[in-house]
Parts: sequence; structure tokens; C-alpha cells
Amino acid sequence: MQFIYRIASAVLACALSLNISVVRADVVAVVSSKSQITTLSKNQVIDIFLGKRTRFPDGSSAIPIDQAEGSAARDEFYTRLADMSPAQVKAFWARIIFTGRGQPPKTVATGLEAKRLLIADPNTIGYIDQSLVDSSVRVVLAP
Amino acid sequence: MNQRSTRFAATVLMVLPLYAIGDDTQPGSAASVFSFSGFGTVGETHSSETNADFTSSIFQPNGAGHTRSWSPTVDSLIGGQISARITPELSAVVQVIAQQNYDGTYRPHVEWANIKYQFTPDLSLRIGRVELPTFLFSDTRKVGYTLPWVRPPIEVYSLIPIATSDGADSSYRLILGDFINTTEGSYVQSNAIQPNNRGTALARNSINFSNTTEYKSLTFRVSYQHVRLTIAALDDFLDTFRLFGPQGIAIADKYDSDNKPVATEVVGASYDPGRWFVISEWGHARFNSFLGESTAWYASSGVRVWQLTPYVTYSRARAASNSDPGLSLTGLPPALAGFAAGLNAALNSILQQIPDQSTVSLGTRWDFAKSFDLKLQFDHTRIGADSDGILINLQPGFRPGGTVNVFSATVDFVF
Repeated sequence: MQFIYRIASAVLACALSLNISVVRADVVAVVSSKSQITTLSKNQVIDIFLGKRTRFPDGSSAIPIDQAEGSAARDEFYTRLADMSPAQVKAFWARIIFTGRGQPPKTVATGLEAKRLLIADPNTIGYIDQSLVDSSVRVVLAP
Repeated sequence: MNQRSTRFAATVLMVLPLYAIGDDTQPGSAASVFSFSGFGTVGETHSSETNADFTSSIFQPNGAGHTRSWSPTVDSLIGGQISARITPELSAVVQVIAQQNYDGTYRPHVEWANIKYQFTPDLSLRIGRVELPTFLFSDTRKVGYTLPWVRPPIEVYSLIPIATSDGADSSYRLILGDFINTTEGSYVQSNAIQPNNRGTALARNSINFSNTTEYKSLTFRVSYQHVRLTIAALDDFLDTFRLFGPQGIAIADKYDSDNKPVATEVVGASYDPGRWFVISEWGHARFNSFLGESTAWYASSGVRVWQLTPYVTYSRARAASNSDPGLSLTGLPPALAGFAAGLNAALNSILQQIPDQSTVSLGTRWDFAKSFDLKLQFDHTRIGADSDGILINLQPGFRPGGTVNVFSATVDFVF
């Protein structure tokens, strides 16, 4: 019995440490610090990135800045916010593109580039690693 | 293809580059005005019924089973699309697909060709060629990569043959808190040539309405369609009934498809929180002709584990009737009675073609590489005792009411 208990606690410890390592790479949704937006819900952010909403709750226009396919930040952002794998995101946009309803958001190669665009336009919203957050941007959602 | 719409598509194709050239000197440049994308499916399908063909669409002349034991034509296709964003409000799209045509050729056809004007971010109007969004996956059913299955459940998706349509459609989106409601309406027409001498289906005055509500992972959708449908292929046969006086005229009027009103109602819902999904759709169509009246539904669920998405689907189509007593033979002279009995038998063999069947499907999607998936699917179909099911090219040895096993393997890609 003791043996089983030990195995169980070892498995649990492994699972917890795995979980912690996943949580540590933190991607946060940010806007320019000049933006009026202070906070957004998970649902509002994912809807903006999936093109279902084109405005922030205050009515101002919302322009999403995505990161390149295959980037760790992008994969984590969609997994955390919508439990969507890269293939699910790709399939989602294929439905929009091949019905002529739109095109996916503009993408940038790095979090730093995303930050540069965000600072330049208060209507944009992006996601970057928490370590890149400084006074030029405001975190509106830390999923 | 309709000549006028071909001309329209050609005009769109020719005019678009002019805009691009005009824009080339601007910082925007042609590269950001145009985007090219494509998709395709390469597949093989096997059917256990050797006396008939299994196809994914009634617009294909042959498929798996009789014509070929393993057929690549059922699902294989390739498509390319040019999208143009001319101004922030004005955009256009042309999509061309090559797949097996009604005449067995692979000549590409224009699937989409329209100009869209976005009045506001939530209100748009399109003019040109569109695919009707009758069911949840109708308008992307040819883009295999967008589907969880090899193909949408044929019991439901063949309820109303879906063809490319020409006309105008409009979309309006309303956002209330976490609810996103989209209303689409269209007025279109289409000419779809059916294979194997079954004539052209002329759809006129097609009015379509759909309303979709999304709340987080939940999608709920209703749609309604009304169209005037003409298929003249059976007119000569049905006119023979008219020779038998009032009862014959009544039969001919009931079953001909001469500008007949067709009404379709569809209700669908899906729940997709990411790691798993469940989808169900129900539809009813009344053709007021030899195409009869049918009700169909399916329910499907899958789980996403690693790169695999195994799924199970049950789908069913029920015909209101697969038979008709036909002409009354009492009182007819023997020679004429024999002729009338022959007509009745022929009429019933036509009504037998109204699908009545159910299918259990098991399959999986494997996202094995970026922009590619591999799907394997097994379908077990039981056909109603009085129905030929959704099969074509029936051979003399074919008997209604059997079971059919279909196996499909496809690779889908987008680029």
C-alpha cells in the first residue's frame, strides 16, 4: 500500500512540475500605454484575433498584430486562450479565406517587432512574452 | 457553367490586375493588394457495393464501387484563389477548382467570383458568384482541411444539392456582450448540369436566409431556403401519364419539376471548446416533385489528442415516401393496363432513388505536418428497404435495402 502511495505521489509531483514549467512561459495580451483600454476578457481578445470582433468594448477600432506561424509565443497564445492547436487556427482561417470573408491578421516575426507596432498605433493589440513588458505597453489580459 | 457568370468571372479576373498595376507605385503595392492561396485533397475511396457507385456529390458521374474498386475521383480536387483588397471597403475574390466534372472531365470551373463592399465592419454586400451557406460546412465543404471529417455527412449534405450560385448576398453582424449574431441573406440563381443524362437543374428566385449565434464555444444556426426548381429531364416520361386522363394528369403534376417551389429548413449547433467537439445538424426539404420530401440529421463528436482527432458520426436521411400506387388499372383494357403497369413501375423506380439510409462513421484526422492533414474514415451504411440510397450508376444486379461499407483515405492541404 505504501508502495502505491509513493508511486502516486511521484507521478503527482511530476505532473505538477510539468504544469509549472508550462505556466512559466507567460504570454500576455498588450496594447500601447497610450490606448484607453485597460482590461479585456479572454473571449474579447480571442474574438479580436479571430476576426469576429473589429472593435474594442469602448467602440474604437481594434487591429490585431499576430506573431509568425510556428513561433512559441503564437502557439502558447492560442493554446492558452482558446485551447486551439496551430492546425486548428490554420483550419479556422482557411474557412474564412476560402469563403472570401477575410484574411488573417498581419503577422510579425518577433515579440519586439510586435511591441514596436503596438507603440506606434494605439488601436492595435498584440501579445508578447511578459519579460518584454515595460512602460510603453499595457497588459490588458494575463491569461 | 452559365455563360453570363463566366463572363462576369472573366471580367473580375481582367479588371483586378488593372487596379493592382494602378496601385503599384503606392507604398501599398500589388503584393498587399493581392493574396494568393490554394487548397487540395488527394484521396482514394473504396466501396463494397460493386453494383453501384459511391460519390460525394450528385454532380459527379462515377465513383467507387462499380466503376472502380478504389476511386481517386470521389474526394480529390485542387483549388486556387486570388483575393484582392482594392480599398479598405472594397474587395474581390476569384476561386477556381479542378475536380471530376459531370462529364468526367477535370476542366477547372469558377467556384467563387464576387466583389464585396464592406459598408461598416459589420455590414457587407457581395455581388457575383457565391456558395450558399445552407449548412454549417456547405461553403467550405470542398476545402478538406477545414473539415473534421473526410467529407460532411452525405445524408444531410445531399438533402439539397448545393451548387455555385450567382446573385447578391448580404451579411450583418451584431455583437451584444459575449454574443455574436450574424444574419445572412441572399437572392441567387444557379444552373447545375447533372451527370448521366439527368438534365440541368435550374434554380431560380432562390431566397436564402440564415442566422448564426456564437456564444464562446457554442454556435447555433438556423437557415431557410426557398427556390423554384426546374429539371426537365423527366418531362417526356411524366407526360405519358397525362394520356390517362385526370388521374394521370394529377400524377404528372405531382411529380414533374417544372418551376416547383422547394423549401428547406435547417437547424444546426456545434460546441467546440478546443480539446473536443460535438456537432449536429438537422434539415428538412420538400421538393414538390419526383425528388420527394426528406428529413435528415447527423450528430458527430471527436476529441483532439496530440495531433490526432478521432471522431464518430451517426447520420440518417429519411424519405417521406419511396413509392406511389400510380395509375389505377381497374377498368383499363388489358393492353393499356399492361402499359400503365409499366409506367407505374418506372415511376416507382424513380421514387426509389430518394435517399433513405443511415450511416455510422468512424475516422480520424492526423495533423501530421504544417498545413497538411491525413484522414482515414470508415462508413457503414444501411439502406432503407425501398430505397437505392445515395448511390449512382445502379447496375442490373443492384438490390435496394442493402448495406454498404466505404473506406476513405485522404490527404488535405492548404497553401
